[in-house]
Amino acid sequence: MDFSFLLTQMVSGLTMATLLFLVASGLTLIFGVGNVFNFAHGSFYMLGAYLGYQVVTVWSLNFWFALLFAALGAGVIGALIECLVLRRIYGRANEGGFQILLTYCLILIIDDLVKLVWGAEYKSISRPAGFSGSLTVGDIAIPSYNLLIIAIGLVVVVASWWILNRTRPGKIARAAAVDREMLGALGINVPLTMTVVFGIATALGGLTGALAAPLRTVTPGAGIEVIIDSMIVVVMGGMGNFWGAWLGALLLGEVNAFAVAFVPEWATLFSFLVMVVVLIFKPEGLFAPRTTRKV
Amino acid sequence: MAGKHGWKCLAVGLLSLIAVPLAQAAAPAEKVIRIGAMYPMTGRPGLYGMDSVAAAEMAIDEINAKGVAGGYKIDAIFTDSKAKPAYAVRVANRYIAEDKVHFLFGVVSSGVGLAVTEVSKQNKVIFIGTDHAATELTVDNFQPYYFRVSNDTFQSMAAGALYLKEMAKTKPWKKIAYIGPDYSYGHAQWDELRYNLDRFGVPFEVVGEYWPKLSDPDYSAYITSIIKDKPDVLVAGFWGGDTVAFIKQAKAYGMFDKLTYFHPDAGGNYELMSAMGDELPLGLILSARHHNNWPVTERNKKFVEEFKKRTGRYPTYAAEGAYAGIYAIAQAVEKVGNPDDADALVKAMEGMKLNLPEDPEGFVSIIDPGTHQIMQVQAIGTTIANADFPPAKVMLGNWSVYQPADIFVPAEYIAAKRKK
Repeated sequence: MDFSFLLTQMVSGLTMATLLFLVASGLTLIFGVGNVFNFAHGSFYMLGAYLGYQVVTVWSLNFWFALLFAALGAGVIGALIECLVLRRIYGRANEGGFQILLTYCLILIIDDLVKLVWGAEYKSISRPAGFSGSLTVGDIAIPSYNLLIIAIGLVVVVASWWILNRTRPGKIARAAAVDREMLGALGINVPLTMTVVFGIATALGGLTGALAAPLRTVTPGAGIEVIIDSMIVVVMGGMGNFWGAWLGALLLGEVNAFAVAFVPEWATLFSFLVMVVVLIFKPEGLFAPRTTRKV
Repeated sequence: MAGKHGWKCLAVGLLSLIAVPLAQAAAPAEKVIRIGAMYPMTGRPGLYGMDSVAAAEMAIDEINAKGVAGGYKIDAIFTDSKAKPAYAVRVANRYIAEDKVHFLFGVVSSGVGLAVTEVSKQNKVIFIGTDHAATELTVDNFQPYYFRVSNDTFQSMAAGALYLKEMAKTKPWKKIAYIGPDYSYGHAQWDELRYNLDRFGVPFEVVGEYWPKLSDPDYSAYITSIIKDKPDVLVAGFWGGDTVAFIKQAKAYGMFDKLTYFHPDAGGNYELMSAMGDELPLGLILSARHHNNWPVTERNKKFVEEFKKRTGRYPTYAAEGAYAGIYAIAQAVEKVGNPDDADALVKAMEGMKLNLPEDPEGFVSIIDPGTHQIMQVQAIGTTIANADFPPAKVMLGNWSVYQPADIFVPAEYIAAKRKK
């Protein structure tokens, strides 16, 4: 077992972890701030992939513009859905049940809309110019595009930390996670905050969809494929905790990568095993969710 | 007023007593062959479902334009199976109890097929399998009311083993690895390939086996691990979008420069060519249950072009299976004279010869009486540049063709499986 193989396997795990984190970050952000478990979050990932396809393949425009367009498109659609649909169920007696039903319906609706607009055939996007090559490590070449994904993931992590901790909107979002009523009493427009946060979260989903499209299949149902693993990551990290999601994704990506290499017949099981072990020892997740502290 | 109303009622009643029998005499009840079809219409397998429905409707229109002997017309109901066995079983039961269908039809997933075949067996209603490929349905779980009109995994894996045997003469290989979805379809292909390699006396050494879950979006870790294993041949057992995702990711790692990629069951489906355009690597060895550019016969060309005219896209292999299924039903009813006698229809279908789009010149598909599995030619090709079927820029060529007699499930295999 040479070092170059371990390194390439680690990078493989890191690529998977980054894409997983980028999807899960949006999911956990919505849950943390709005207490909404958005089952349809994967559908915004899928929508982003299709918007990326539209820009790159149909309109023959630049890939970087496609990333921006996918993020903006998914963000605006997400904000509109929050504003027009989700907002109506906030505060209902059994809001949780309504959330599951409503967001599940959204999965079906968005899936069918995508099929109506782009058809059921599988689509694909080429890797962008400058990132179609690879870096050779020992016997194995690491695709430069995978390194780009990891780099973008790091940028998102740092930028999110900065926004959430150092800017006023970030602080408002964090405050909304703790006590929305108090935030409203302080004169902050809480419904607007919720809409914006939902829009940012779905924009992250859309961005990830377009970013993953050169490596994955653009197809109806693509959202379902990512949502299960993202949920594992969110639960493992501590529901609603941004950093927990990051750590959870890293753990899942790397455990999967090395399980595939050393115990391939049990690789799928390991994703779930990691979650079980984490939840046995830390039932509230790696990082406890934010709760109102009693003084 | 009440009296007036009563007279009116009496008049309407009397008129209806006269008019209804008259109308029945004038226009006898339409003779209909009722088919209850189930296909997934959403998510990744949705494309297979939509293509199957379009091709089945195409066959129904062609047949109804001429009429089936005895004055029968075909009427099919299509329901989304959601690719879920329990749901499809409910649909099948409803088709039988409420819609009084003569045939159950369709199904993409073998898991759903295995569930629906039980409903067919219990109710003695014929089930025509058009797409799912698990050999279990015609061997281990065989029941007399089930028929399959597309090749199963055994046939494609036997053809694959013969291809690999032949290939060893010009491109020596020994080390082999496998990657396929972690459920019955993926495992069956690997078991059947090894069984056939042994049967044909092909020496091989397994250096890796990988079982990602179905619809896994990320294969990076599998690819780097496969490259580390250094196999001469990588056999893949994916289908649908999984094939597209795997090939895209493997290409990025330069995997195809290091080994021979071999994907003989569903790898050569048109969906891959249409999704990847000129990004599809050349020299991959693939096959599928139907090809848009093989055989080059008028029948196949007409089928492919007619499908394109109806839907605006070229068909995936699922389409030809559904098309074949409708023709098999029409031919069986023609022979029996009615669609009501299931046992007579079973007899009629056993050994039935069908002239289908995927039959090369001088060959007709035959339904094997012992297994109710259709016997068809299997063609394996390699990817070459060909822009005749846009948006594909690469299609299969350099065909190697295998006759059913050489690739069909051997009697001892059937006996051993059924004994269990």
